[in-house]
Amino acid sequence: MSTARWAKVAALAAGIGGVVAAPYVLPSYVVSLLTLVFISALLAGSVNLLAGLAGLVSIGHAGIAAAAAYGVAWAAVHDLGLAAELGVAAAITFAVSVVYALTTMRTAGIVFLMITLALGITVFGLALKLSSITGGQNGLTGIRRPEVVSEWWKFYFFTAATYGLCLLGLAVVSRSPFGLMLRGIRESQTRMTSLGYSVTAVKFAAVVVSGAFAGCAGVLLAWNSEFMSPSAASFSRSALAVVMVIVGGTGTLLGPLVGAGIVVAAEYWLSSYVERWQTVLGVVLILVVLFAPRGIVGGLEGLARQFSHRP
Amino acid sequence: MPVDELLLQALNGLSFGALLFLLASGFTLVFGLMKIVNLAHGAFYLVGGYIGIATFTAARNFLVAVLAGVATAAVFGLASERVLLRRVRGKELPEVLLTVGIALVIADGCLAVFGGNPRSIPIPTVLSESVRLGGFTYPTYRLFVIALATAVGVLLYVVQHRTRLGALIRAGVDDRETAESMGINVPRVFTAMFVFGAALAGLAGVVAAGLLTLRPGADTDILLFALVVVVVGGLGSLQGAAVGSALIGLVDAFSKAWVPELSYFAVFAPMAIVLMFRPSGLFGRSRT
Repeated sequence: MSTARWAKVAALAAGIGGVVAAPYVLPSYVVSLLTLVFISALLAGSVNLLAGLAGLVSIGHAGIAAAAAYGVAWAAVHDLGLAAELGVAAAITFAVSVVYALTTMRTAGIVFLMITLALGITVFGLALKLSSITGGQNGLTGIRRPEVVSEWWKFYFFTAATYGLCLLGLAVVSRSPFGLMLRGIRESQTRMTSLGYSVTAVKFAAVVVSGAFAGCAGVLLAWNSEFMSPSAASFSRSALAVVMVIVGGTGTLLGPLVGAGIVVAAEYWLSSYVERWQTVLGVVLILVVLFAPRGIVGGLEGLARQFSHRP
Repeated sequence: MPVDELLLQALNGLSFGALLFLLASGFTLVFGLMKIVNLAHGAFYLVGGYIGIATFTAARNFLVAVLAGVATAAVFGLASERVLLRRVRGKELPEVLLTVGIALVIADGCLAVFGGNPRSIPIPTVLSESVRLGGFTYPTYRLFVIALATAVGVLLYVVQHRTRLGALIRAGVDDRETAESMGINVPRVFTAMFVFGAALAGLAGVVAAGLLTLRPGADTDILLFALVVVVVGGLGSLQGAAVGSALIGLVDAFSKAWVPELSYFAVFAPMAIVLMFRPSGLFGRSRT
């Protein structure tokens, strides 16, 4: 194997080792934050699937995740058991993703962004107004994690493993013919159409696939907090997912994870020192857009490529 | 349903629609000229409204409050355009993301300065009374909002279609390069338009302070309505913004009265229908 490949294997092993070791060496508060990082990274990864491959930036994906989480919460409140929790979550995720897909499949760029934004806020509004189902502003309590992963460290491992599987899934989608079609759409819709692809159908499928990953994040979210309120679907949640993608690096596999780490650190750690963490986040977003448009991981990859191509 | 009730809800809808028009017209004009989707528009509205409330509390004069709110929003708009947006001119996505960043910073700043409690403006004395219309009384202020929005709409239309300034703007919309080669300073026209859009958002904010309440999150709430209005009406179209505002305002009022649990959904439904049959909106030019 080449040096570069060895370096990659070593980095992967170190990463997995670090993830496994974390609960044994870090305080439980930090581990619970790491759990949140993985969940946020999964949602950001679903945004990145569309943004990185097809150039479709969704600023309403928290709506899909929240819908799935409400599915879990609703089934849990009605004591329907684990299978029903997952079933209801899957059904709602699919239904909501199809609505997202149907309303956006003919659009691109800015219009796509605006419609997803409106959809996200609509989910938020429904969560707030349909209080007989969602509990309105008070939210739903009484959600319990499945027995086997009820303890914080077990749930951490469960979340990390789920994230790992989803990351693998995202990588597979990205390298599949379907992923290439999405890249083709990003580069030129006209060319894809004249090659005989149905751009509309591909976009429809892409949004539904991305929605499935967002739904997984939603299930984890409901189990993690064991509480659901409309704020999970709020504009700032969706916007933060986009911020994670942009700051980490659009179109990179690990960018969303890095971005999620930074955003969660700002929200929970920085906020205990600086009251105005949202301002900090806004400023970080502005700086990244202006000075590092490829994000942190994208920038590092560029540097690594330059370095390795040197004679 | 009695006629009075219908009329009452229609007026409620039209007055809310009038407010939406003040907001959506600035949003859509900025998009029409610069192709910027300004997601900080709601934040300009919020900061304008808050400053309006603070000024009214201090000066007890509604006109001064309006001027202060409009000026503040305009200053924020000027700073955003000159310092930030100008650096990524023409790149759709970075532009939107910058406005998201600006929105986060301004909304958080409003929370820091004005706190988390809902605030509103006491309706100015002249407008605080009600008028009798048929079988019910109706607040004068709401009628004033409808009149104001109509006046602003007519003014915008006349400026756009009958003046030299409007011709400059339309030239910038149609063919930027030719306009520049004719000696028009297009970047300056852009800045002016962005500041003007922000000022309209500020005006909407102060007007809204007498109609609704302002609180953290009010910026994104109203942004949703503005987005739906411009998507339904057609991005960049002033007539579309007018028709869309009235439509969405009416749908909102009647759905709130008849099916309160679905009121958000009812606003979204017309948007979905329009998008399926006319993706570029009722009055929009088709974009490829």
